[in-house]
Amino acid sequence: MAEPRTRNVQASAVSAMAALPVLLMIAAGLCADEPATAQVRSFVSCPIYRDTNAGRKSGCWLANDPENGVQYDISLGRIKPLLGRQVLVEGVVSPKDAGPSAPRQSMCGATVLEPVRVAVLDAACKEYSIPAEGFPGRRFVLPAKLLQPASVPRQLPPPPYGKREYTIFFELNNDFLIYQYAETIIEDIVLYTKASHARRVVITGYAATTGYEVSGRHIAEKLEIAKARAAMVAAALERLGVPRTLLELKWQGEPQLDPPTDAGLIEPAKRRATVEIVL
Amino acid sequence: MPDPRAGLLTALMITWRVACVVIAVTAVVVTAALGAGLGAGLSANEAYQDDTWWAAGDARQFPSRATFSNSSGALTVLRSGAPLDTQGHPFFSPLGTNGRACVTCHQPADSMSLSAQTIQKRWQDTQGQDPLFAPVDGSNCPHLPQSQRSSHSLLLDRGLFRVFRPWPPRAADGATIEPEFTLEVVRDPTGCNLHPQYGVHSANPMVSVYRRPRPVANVKYLTAIGFSFEPKNGLPLPLDPQTAAPTSGNLMADARNRTLKSQAIDAALVHLQASANPTDAQLRQILDFEATLYSAQGQDRWGGALTEAGASGGPETLAASPAGELQGGAKPVWSEFAAWAKLPAASGSEEQRLFRESVARGADVFANRTFLIRDAAGLTSIGFGNPVRNACAFCHNMMRTGMDVAPGQVDLGTTNEPFANPAPELPLFKLTCKEPYRPHPHLGRVVYTQDPGYALTTGKCRDIGKITIQQMRGLAARAPYFSNGSARTLRDIVDYYDRRYSIGYTEQEKQDLVNLMSVL
Repeated sequence: MAEPRTRNVQASAVSAMAALPVLLMIAAGLCADEPATAQVRSFVSCPIYRDTNAGRKSGCWLANDPENGVQYDISLGRIKPLLGRQVLVEGVVSPKDAGPSAPRQSMCGATVLEPVRVAVLDAACKEYSIPAEGFPGRRFVLPAKLLQPASVPRQLPPPPYGKREYTIFFELNNDFLIYQYAETIIEDIVLYTKASHARRVVITGYAATTGYEVSGRHIAEKLEIAKARAAMVAAALERLGVPRTLLELKWQGEPQLDPPTDAGLIEPAKRRATVEIVL
Repeated sequence: MPDPRAGLLTALMITWRVACVVIAVTAVVVTAALGAGLGAGLSANEAYQDDTWWAAGDARQFPSRATFSNSSGALTVLRSGAPLDTQGHPFFSPLGTNGRACVTCHQPADSMSLSAQTIQKRWQDTQGQDPLFAPVDGSNCPHLPQSQRSSHSLLLDRGLFRVFRPWPPRAADGATIEPEFTLEVVRDPTGCNLHPQYGVHSANPMVSVYRRPRPVANVKYLTAIGFSFEPKNGLPLPLDPQTAAPTSGNLMADARNRTLKSQAIDAALVHLQASANPTDAQLRQILDFEATLYSAQGQDRWGGALTEAGASGGPETLAASPAGELQGGAKPVWSEFAAWAKLPAASGSEEQRLFRESVARGADVFANRTFLIRDAAGLTSIGFGNPVRNACAFCHNMMRTGMDVAPGQVDLGTTNEPFANPAPELPLFKLTCKEPYRPHPHLGRVVYTQDPGYALTTGKCRDIGKITIQQMRGLAARAPYFSNGSARTLRDIVDYYDRRYSIGYTEQEKQDLVNLMSVL
């Protein structure tokens, strides 16, 4: 029994040595995606639609950063732009997509921002629509977590239960619950509320009232949107069966950021609502 | 690629016109005599008489299966359960003061809707005396001289009933909704919107719009809950205040009633001019009856039986299948006709094979031919981007009916300028979105529309011109199409979309889509 065990130890050591470069590469890759080392870009621009055709919802959305002249691929946001309306773009240039030979740049013909948040502004601008020009575009991929059809039985989360908080992010100056993002969080809240027999559900809407300077303009939200966000989340929970008597609504300006970012982005993270389940 | 049927059409059309008459006259005899006829197990009392008009109070028996010829072939209406004695049944009885019943505007031969052709025939047969032409909504406006055809022109020419909505809008509980927009009447060809008794400035302010009646059949699909969320409005589905159950968004052009029960009450009070709500027992009878009905084209003049050669058209599949299924992947919408994509040369006649293959191609175009969808609020305004590349099935995504599983309302431009077909015979409204409300997402702060649609229910700018996507079954029996009857033919539907979205369909693709829709 002892000999084989020795051989196994030796074999493991050899395997570990062989795997070291791989592990280092993985670690380097992970570090490269850390927000701290990533280049964050925020700008206001007119969106450009590149009509690639890799199937449904496959067109590319591009935007030029007026500060550095770089054209970015902003297709990977939770929402897409509207032609003819300015967009606020807030995103991270991942190092693997920064160089001219980056593989994903070849999909739409621009440096990829990911994560990226796109907000449609009220200001109009010229419509820019361009052909595919040989770029294949990107096949639409459904989010990893997707609302299931109503016919699929829901499983209540198992115990133990404790105090829990959920966060829902919003688009700038908007209280609309973003499709294929927010509804799964809402449903999780409902299921947990039911399973845990919560005594209270505290919904707090926030607004990024301080704001910041982007492309020569001050981007900030009014406090009213914080109230609207809380009300929208409350309406959603109520329609899914959470009794109104359990709901407690609050709203305020800048949040104490926890989590501190929305996928590495600080300003978009302030446009949120939180839902605290109190047992 | 030219239409492979084109050479056959002219010659066969003459033959068909003769055949139509023969079919219409002998339908009952033939189907009864053949036994199997248009479907297995047909018996004498399952077919229907030639005079298809069903008047209020007709004490007929509603059969378990009925077939009705139309220009594309024949429609089949199934009723699950035994034939129904309609004597005294509230769906078939006048419940109000104007002599109409539910069946007046939901005729079995017209797929439980009402075609302009039927309306015109009824006008001729009764010299306009049928309750169908009741002043309240069967004329352009009640103040007009009711004996004149011109006073009923919208109903006769476009199949449109007057729908009058309170202004400002009211919620389901009767509370007034503060609208996000002002409303001005720009054009009032019927005289109703500026009339001192019926108009928007009257003591009881109303906005009159003109719409087609929707089919009361396949209702399990109309009320199916595919998903708990309504992404077009960013919230879970609204609840029925009486039952607390989620309600589908697929009823009524403007979703003013979200349940069949509230629709039945509203219809009785408004269209039948009842003085009080139907009783609970009457409502139960109406809803029970509606739940038993399945209607679809069952036979095509070229393609033959729609359940042959591996196809599963016709209402039987509708009755047997679950409702609310989302299409996609291995199960695209209208895959009922996928087996017709490649038929053996020896199968049936040449024209039958060519037609069937055209239907299958139409289904493929419908599900997979993508184009850029632009400025369709409710679709291009909720995060997908404007434009978004997709196919017909993007919206028409519910298996077997082509409704929207999501569900909800979309502005396809059928009523909003600049995309709506010119219609000087319809009213035109100028809606101005007030500060601080957001403007319409694509049309800005000022929108000109023939029918504000869903915005007359919600009062929201983003909903101006949105119309609920409707089912696509039984189309051949109930022209014209779109909520405002602006498409007189199935080809007009295709041409509208082709122009609206600059799709660039080939002639072959257009014909394939028309053939597909003709067999639904």
